[in-house]
This record gives sequence, structure tokens and C-alpha cells, in this order.
Amino acid sequence: MNAITFENISKYYPSTEVQASDNVSFSIRKGEIHAICGENGAGKSTLMNILFGLERMDSGRILINEEEVTLRNASDALAHGIGMVHQHFKLVPSFTVAESILLGTEEKPFISKKSEVEAVRELSEKYSLPIDPSALIDTLPVGMLQRVEILKMLIRNVEILILDEPTAVLTPNEVGPFLDTLRNLKERGKTIIFISHKLQEVLDASDRITVMRKGKFIGTKESKETNIYELADMMVGRKVLLSVDKKPSVPGETILSVENINVTSSSGLKILDNVSFSVRRGEIYGIAGVSGNGQEALIKAIAGEVQVRSGVIRISGKEVQNLSVEQKRKAGMAYVPEDRVHVGLNVEASLLDNSLLGYEDEKCFKKGMFLDEKKLRERAEKMISDYQIYGSSVDGLVSKLSGGNMQKVVLAREFEHVPDLLIVEQPVRGLDVGSIEFVHKAIIEERDKGTAVLLVSVELDEILSLSDRVGVMYSGSLAGELSGDEINETNIALLMVGKKGGVE
Amino acid sequence: MNIFDIITINVLQSAIRLATPIILAALGAALCNKAGVLNLGIDGFITMSAFVAIVSTYLIRNFTAIGMMHPVLATFLGVLITALFGGLLGLIYAFLKDRFNVDLVVLSIATNMLALEITVYIMRAVFHQSGTWSDSSIVQLPSIELPLISSIPVLGDLLSGYNIIVYLSWIFAVLLIVLMKKTKWGRYITAVGENRDAAVSVGISVTKVRYFALILSGVLSGLAGAFLSVGHLTLFTRDMSAGRGWLGNAAALFGFNNPGGAFAAGLFFGFADALALRLQNVTKIPSYIIQVMPYVLTIVILSIVSYKALRDRRKRKAA
Ligand SMILES: Nc1ncnc2c1ncn2[C@@H]1O[C@H](COP(=O)(O)OP(=O)(O)OP(=O)(O)O)[C@@H](O)[C@H]1O
Ligand SMILES: [Mg+2]
Repeated sequence: MNAITFENISKYYPSTEVQASDNVSFSIRKGEIHAICGENGAGKSTLMNILFGLERMDSGRILINEEEVTLRNASDALAHGIGMVHQHFKLVPSFTVAESILLGTEEKPFISKKSEVEAVRELSEKYSLPIDPSALIDTLPVGMLQRVEILKMLIRNVEILILDEPTAVLTPNEVGPFLDTLRNLKERGKTIIFISHKLQEVLDASDRITVMRKGKFIGTKESKETNIYELADMMVGRKVLLSVDKKPSVPGETILSVENINVTSSSGLKILDNVSFSVRRGEIYGIAGVSGNGQEALIKAIAGEVQVRSGVIRISGKEVQNLSVEQKRKAGMAYVPEDRVHVGLNVEASLLDNSLLGYEDEKCFKKGMFLDEKKLRERAEKMISDYQIYGSSVDGLVSKLSGGNMQKVVLAREFEHVPDLLIVEQPVRGLDVGSIEFVHKAIIEERDKGTAVLLVSVELDEILSLSDRVGVMYSGSLAGELSGDEINETNIALLMVGKKGGVE
Repeated sequence: MNIFDIITINVLQSAIRLATPIILAALGAALCNKAGVLNLGIDGFITMSAFVAIVSTYLIRNFTAIGMMHPVLATFLGVLITALFGGLLGLIYAFLKDRFNVDLVVLSIATNMLALEITVYIMRAVFHQSGTWSDSSIVQLPSIELPLISSIPVLGDLLSGYNIIVYLSWIFAVLLIVLMKKTKWGRYITAVGENRDAAVSVGISVTKVRYFALILSGVLSGLAGAFLSVGHLTLFTRDMSAGRGWLGNAAALFGFNNPGGAFAAGLFFGFADALALRLQNVTKIPSYIIQVMPYVLTIVILSIVSYKALRDRRKRKAA
């Protein structure tokens, strides 16, 4: 029996002139884990938003349990047993976990804190998803926020759970337990739809996989009968190289040097403990490690968002540890932050504005006192075509772009620059296979142009395939440095768990 | 001079009276802020309401049978009509926001200018007065002694003997505190204000929340206006609200948009006003210094409060 059937679903966005959904028909079986894959902007989120009642389709029919339904808003969808966890979480920062989970389900007008906490505790035990019901949303890490979102749907007794790129925000060691959660929910009879760009995990976790491209349905495969290469080809419509070719690096002089830096949290905890390393012109230095071992603080310290307690940071020989982000950019640093949507973009502004963000003062963009509109426009258009930013024009709002295309805007802007030092955090988060290939090539090209690249990634594969040298972080300090043939999975893995002897 | 010679029970009573319109405005502003619909039109609402209150009271008093027989009842009906009028203003705001996504700040600027001019214009055209208008037939809203409470020494004097709008402001404060803290609707309002998408995604109606907040803030502004023209005095003057609506907006922020906090802040503004008046009467401090005192005090306290909030937030982030 089919839990959901899409019949000829079409949706056109006049504002961006995108046919986000083009006569899509396929179905999802009851009790299966069904993955949806496709390039950035393929229309995956749009289709799911239609199913959850957040967007209206122009034409087509949706059947739930073989019966046609009308879904005008989220309440309609919830009433039909459909729940959704969005690509960007929808939570109220000042609420507690219990309040967030129960929001909208309260039966009685008056709230009883105690019974709410109790209800959430029971729910979390029932599905073995432990969480502290009285923790504040503001203070929780992403993995927990996602758990809150899932519990929020489960308490509404949904039978069908949609997850839009749930693993994009998780660290690799959170992914395993998360996929177990999905299997566990499946065992309890729930139907799961999840979107992901990570083909390996899709193959591992799902029963069937549907591929979309440019708003169209391409095909549905049994997971057991397909493989990464076939899926990648279906998604992109051409052969994709899943590994990158690169020449050996020809390192030049030292660009970034970090000497004995220490960072402590405001509560006095040591976050970085005497970290030293350097990155030379023309090499990619990868920082690996289980997330939460100080990588964030290290990058923030170098980028200028966090004050170092002691130590020296030099860019091209110049001491920069006390300079602001802006001054460091002037010194030749470009920075692609991890949280690109909030830190790297102004989503309420146009693509053109965002393509310049932070570089407005640069001489080459100016004509006298004013910005050189024509030049900037051409530059933005070039970025759109080079980086295949799909779904908007130069003047379109960034908020209308699909998740992956938003990422590309930041990457395009920072890469455009041929900086001396390029810092990239999790560069391919949320990108489709085609774009990953592209971004990886772009990073290597930057290197070959003579940029010193500092790459931070929790994806081991990415570190392995790009880095010329690797530093592994463990509990606030550099557990070891690898180069050349030493760079392999075993060595990195050993250092990641703090085994110093790994290299020998 | 001893401090109790300056702050007498009379000063405290007048503080409560002066605070009433500010409290009403502040409660409405706080509610709107919580719901994410910044209402800066409250000051204009109050001026228009003050005018509507005195005119409707006058009309009922002189041109209806009930009004002629029961002058006090005419005033009560005038207050009721004004509350409804305020609610109507809020309804218009909500409609314009919801249907046409009108920018409320721009709308509020227009409202405030219109309020000032239209009241003066009608006063001139109809009543042939330019600065103030009053009619001797209008009866002021009577003071009510609360049974039991009024017989408690000192406290009885402090808590009793005001007109109905003062008590209503207290009742609304309590109701709003309960609403925001204890009920699901309060939670919905906060959710809509803080993260609209979060509310929509669980099926909470943003429209309903906005209508509710704006209409109620309108009703409260209506009461504030009526308090000025038929409660505190029995006359209408040009620009009657004289910035009390704005003080209400400030008090709401002051109280972190919590109804309890907004109430306390409103009360504080009233107290500062009353104290300033008193000091002008009993001391030789130059009046221009005394008149800026409430504002200076406001800035000082606001700085302290926001500094503390900043520190708390930092602490929470670090944890
Ligand atoms: N609200 C909107 N208004 C206009 N255009 C939109 C809107 N939402 C999405 N689009 C466009 O529709 C297309 C499909 O977007 P969608 O978000 O469904 O992509 P996606 O497959 O989820 O991509 P990603 O993997 O990057 O998240 C994109 O080109 C996007 O620009
Ligand atoms: Mg998407």
C-alpha cells in the first residue's frame, strides 16, 4: 500500500521564474524509508513543502493512503498525519525544550509545566531519544535541536515524517545514531521521507531512492539495486567524478603562522591549548577532528571573531591577532564561515548586494566615490554562471534561493578574490554531488594560484582528498600533523581520538 | 525637610493616577511587541480616543433620554464607546497589516500626525474652540471606594478611591500577566513574535494573534484616552495624550515586553511625574531641572536594566 502518491504535481514561482516542480509523479510505500536526491534547486524542498501544506501546487493531486487530500496549511498536513522537520529549524529561541515540543498541541487553556515536562520525558523515553525537557533552545547544539524537531512531530502522532536534509547539520559521528533513529521509527511503522546529498548514507539508510532534476522526476530505485555512481549520474545528467585530481603541491613562503595560541571561554575553560601550525602559499592545510574539539574556536580566533588570550597569529608576516575581521580581510584573508546563511549572507538583500558583501571598500569596484554598478553587475552575473547558482537573477533576493544555492553565493564571493589566505569551513555542506566536484576543483585552483588554504571539515573524505597537510585537533590542542603518505584514514582516526602515537 | 514630607500619600495617589494612561499604553505596547507587531500609533490612538470620549459623553448626556436622566451613566457609556472605538482602530491596523502587509511604522507616523490635526480640526469646525473644549453638562467619571480595602489604614487610601479606569488598568495587567505566563495563548503570542515560521509550521494562526494584539492594544489606548478627557479632567485639549503613548512604548521595552514589567515601568513613570510636580511646589529647585528629572531618571534606569540584560545574555551564551 502507498502512504503517499504524487500525481502530476507542478509548481511555478513567478518571482524567480523557476518551474520548481514539473509534472512530478511517484509514490511512497507505507512503512518505508524513502530518500529523495537531486541537485541544489532541483525542487526537493518545494515538493516537500507542498506535501506539508506550506506551498500550494499549481496543479496535480496528492493521495494519502490512497485517498485524495487538500493540504492548505501545516495544520491540514498534521491532521493527515504528516510531519516535517525543515532544512532550517523552526524553533523559538527563548522556549524550553518541552515548550517547543508541545507548542500548538496544548489541549487545556492553562499550562501545567510539570505535566508538560513529564509528557516530554515519556515521549523521549518511548522513542529512545534522550533530551532534557527544561533546557533552553538557545543553548542547545544543532544535533539536539534536530531531536527537538523530531519529537515535536512525534508527539503529534504523525505517521509520515519528512526530513529535509537532516544530516547536513550533523557531524559524522552524530549521523550513525541519527540513521538508527530513522530505522527505529520505521520499525514502529512510521513512513519516512528524507532528503540528502550524501549518497552513501542514502544507500545505507533507505529502502528506495527517488531522484529529481530541475523540477522533474527522474526515477525511483530500490536502494539494494543501485550504487553511488548511478545515482550521481541520474542527478546531474552526466558522469560525475567522485574524487578529485590534483597535482602535488608546490608550497612557497609561509602565509599563515599560528604560534602558541590559547583561548579560554568566559567561564574560564580552556578551549585552545597552545596551538601552533603554519600554512604556506600553494598548499591546502586540512584541519580534521571530531567536532567540538576546538576547531570552531581555532578558526574564529584566526578569523578575528574570538579574542586569543596569548600567542601570535601572523598573516604574511604581519601580526594580526588583535585586528578586527575587517582589518584581517584587508591583510589578505578570505573566510567562508560554517554558518553561511546567518554569518555569510544577508538573505533579505539581492544577489548583487551579497556578491559584494564585505568588499564594498575595494578600489576596483568603485568609480569615484560610488560603486561601479555596471562592473559589479557583470561580476555578479559571471559568478552566477561560473558557480551555476540556479534559481535567481542578479537582483533576486537570496532568501528565495534553495539551500545549496545560498551556499554557492558565499563560496563564489570569497573565491572570486584570490586572497593570500583562504579559510573554508565545511565547504560542501548542503551541496549536491555536482557542486561538490565543482567546489573541490575551485579550492584546488585557488591553491594552484598561490593561495594558502586552510580547510576545516568534519568529513574525513574531504580532508583526505584535498589536503596536502593535515592537522588533527583533539580536546583543544593539535594532536598531530600529517603530510604526504602519512595522510590516511587510519592515522587521522587514531589522532582524532587522542592517540598521539598514531603516526609512528 | 524629611523625605516623607515630600512623598506624602497624596503624591502617591497622584502618581497612580498619572501612571494609569501610561500603564494602559504600556500593556498594549508590550503585547504588540511580544506578538511582533510594533504599534507606535498608540499615542495617536490615545489623543483620538480622548476626543471621542468627551464628545460621545456629551452627545449621550444631552441628546438621549438615558443621558438626561442619569448624567453619570452617560460618562460610563462614553467610556465604553471609546474602548470600542480604540478596538476599531486596532482592527483597522490589523486588517491593513494582514491584508496588504502595510508597514506599521509608516502607518503609525501617519496616525500620530492625523490624530493631532483631525481632533483640532473637528474641535474648531464643530465646537468653535481652538485650544481646549469642555462642556459644563459633562460629569466626571466618579471615584469608587473599594469595600473592605478602603477601611485598611494607609493602604486603603493608597489602593482605593480611584475611578473605574484605574482599576481596569490593574485588572488588565493581572489578566495579561496570567495570559502570557500561564496559558497556551500567551505561548502562541510569543512564538508568533519571536519566530513566525515556527508558529506557522505547527498550525498557529499568525493572523489571529496579530488581530488579538492590535485590537486589545487599541481597546487599552481607548481607555487611556477616556481616562484623560472624562476621568482625570473633563475637557479636551489639543494633543491631549502629550507623549503618554510614547512613554507607554518606552515602558513596554523597559519591562522587557512582559506585562508585569510594563506595569511596573508605567507606574515608575507616573511616580516620577508626580514627584516632579511635588518638588516644583515644595522646593526651590528650578523648575526646568525638575522637569527633565523623569527623563534623566528613565535613561539611568534603562541603562542599568539593559546592561544587566546584556550581562545575563553573555552568561547564558558562555554556559
Ligand atoms: N519562495 C520562493 N520563491 C521563488 N522561488 C523559489 C522559492 N522557493 C524556492 N524557489 C526556487 O525553486 C527552485 C527549487 O528550490 P528548492 O528549495 O525546492 O530546491 P532543493 O531541491 O531543495 O535544493 P537544495 O538541495 O539546494 O536545498 C530553486 O531554483 C529556488 O530558487
Ligand atoms: Mg532544499
